[in-house]
Amino acid sequence: MQKKKIVVAEDNSTLSMLLKFRLEKEGHELFIAPDGKQALEFIQEHEPNMIITDIMMPFVNGLEVISHVRFKLNKDTPIIVFSAAGQEEMVLKAFNLGANDFMSKPFSPNELMIRVNKLLD
Amino acid sequence: MTYLTKLIDEYSQLPLIIQLAWAISALLIVAIIFLIIALQILRKSLRIRHKEKVTYKKRYEGKLINYLYGGGVSSLLTAEQQRCIEEFKNVVHLKHRRKIIVSILFNLMNQITGEMTEAIKTFYFKTGLIDSAIDRLHSKKWHVVAKSISELSRFNVCEAKDEVAKFIHHPRPEVRTETQLYFVTLFKFDGLHFLDEYQEPLSEWVQIQLLEILNQFDDQQICDITPWLQSTNDSVVRFALKLAQIYNQFEVKDTLMELLTHPTKDIRLKSIQVLTSLYGIEAKEVLKANFESLSIEEQISFFKLLEKLVMPDDEPFVEKHLFHKNFEVQLLAVKILKSLNKDKFMGLSTEVYEDSNPKILEFVKSI
Repeated sequence: MQKKKIVVAEDNSTLSMLLKFRLEKEGHELFIAPDGKQALEFIQEHEPNMIITDIMMPFVNGLEVISHVRFKLNKDTPIIVFSAAGQEEMVLKAFNLGANDFMSKPFSPNELMIRVNKLLD
Repeated sequence: MTYLTKLIDEYSQLPLIIQLAWAISALLIVAIIFLIIALQILRKSLRIRHKEKVTYKKRYEGKLINYLYGGGVSSLLTAEQQRCIEEFKNVVHLKHRRKIIVSILFNLMNQITGEMTEAIKTFYFKTGLIDSAIDRLHSKKWHVVAKSISELSRFNVCEAKDEVAKFIHHPRPEVRTETQLYFVTLFKFDGLHFLDEYQEPLSEWVQIQLLEILNQFDDQQICDITPWLQSTNDSVVRFALKLAQIYNQFEVKDTLMELLTHPTKDIRLKSIQVLTSLYGIEAKEVLKANFESLSIEEQISFFKLLEKLVMPDDEPFVEKHLFHKNFEVQLLAVKILKSLNKDKFMGLSTEVYEDSNPKILEFVKSI
């Protein structure tokens, strides 16, 4: 598979490290942002092929990241959203803003890989 | 030296009140300086600890992820995983580092599912973290015991069941709560059997937490709640009533009927409400017969039951209470009458009754 750039915006350091390890193993180039603000910087700097973002993050949340990508940068980069239990309304908002897929935490990393590969194909 | 002697001489010649003021000022200055130094030391040590925590966290996160992805095709541990476990085994006896490792593991358990959670559990067992948690159950400090039970619950350690069961009647409510949550989290409805002989109060907050945990399970097959409805512990009865209502326990209707004469008022009241939701038509005649002896709250609850389960033969009873002294009963009676006999209800608004409330009639007419 061709090497793709992926920005992961996740404030949980253990999970982001796990995702970095797993996605890099698949041959992708990862940019890990601990908050939405840095995620936006990475997106503008590296023009990734995919964005994986948590909804609840410090400074700039996941919804704002999606909104920025879709309406300010006018990009159709595939976006996968992570949500926690009880954030169903947020997920709907994320889809309305242009998210492509979502995964509810706790999730299976293997399932995430399938979704990532499907969206990157 | 002479300057100091001169200062002391001058001080001793001052009036007593001035001397006292100077002494207090000096004492306060010393205290402030001391506190500033202590605060600086404390801040520095906290910073060092935080820095250390961040360093170890990063280091252990990396190692743990190597362990998780170092597995082979079979479920057996690979040499790399074994080496990682040995490395962690050497540090889990250090309290501070153990806390960091447990928090990383727990954090990950909350974020991911699948075979990886099993690998985390294996890690928890093989590194000896489980032994450490079980050892801490023997601590004399109640908060250490409570935290240890909570940890065993988070990592689904069913093996510690017998050890944890000893704390179900612990004098501290916090320890009891953790024990109850452990049992329900791990053994679902079977975990509620501690209620059979439970005599300590079960707080509303604990009840909510237990119901919340039970709600998360796919298997909603509840066990027999009759012994809990018959418990001598009122809080257990209240909890059992909630279970009866949430899980539609039609089979306990007879026990619920017995609770209508329970000595505690709020249990009688809740029983009426549960019977209403379970369509307990049997309760109607019993409550009708004892209506006058019921408290106002119970009378209102009974009318709510009647509103749901009313039959044509209830009309005379409802009519009798159209002008009840309580507003809510009056309103419910008028509403029920409207549903039973519209003509009679319309007659109420045309005829003038001494005790009738025209506003209620107008309101019921409009709904």
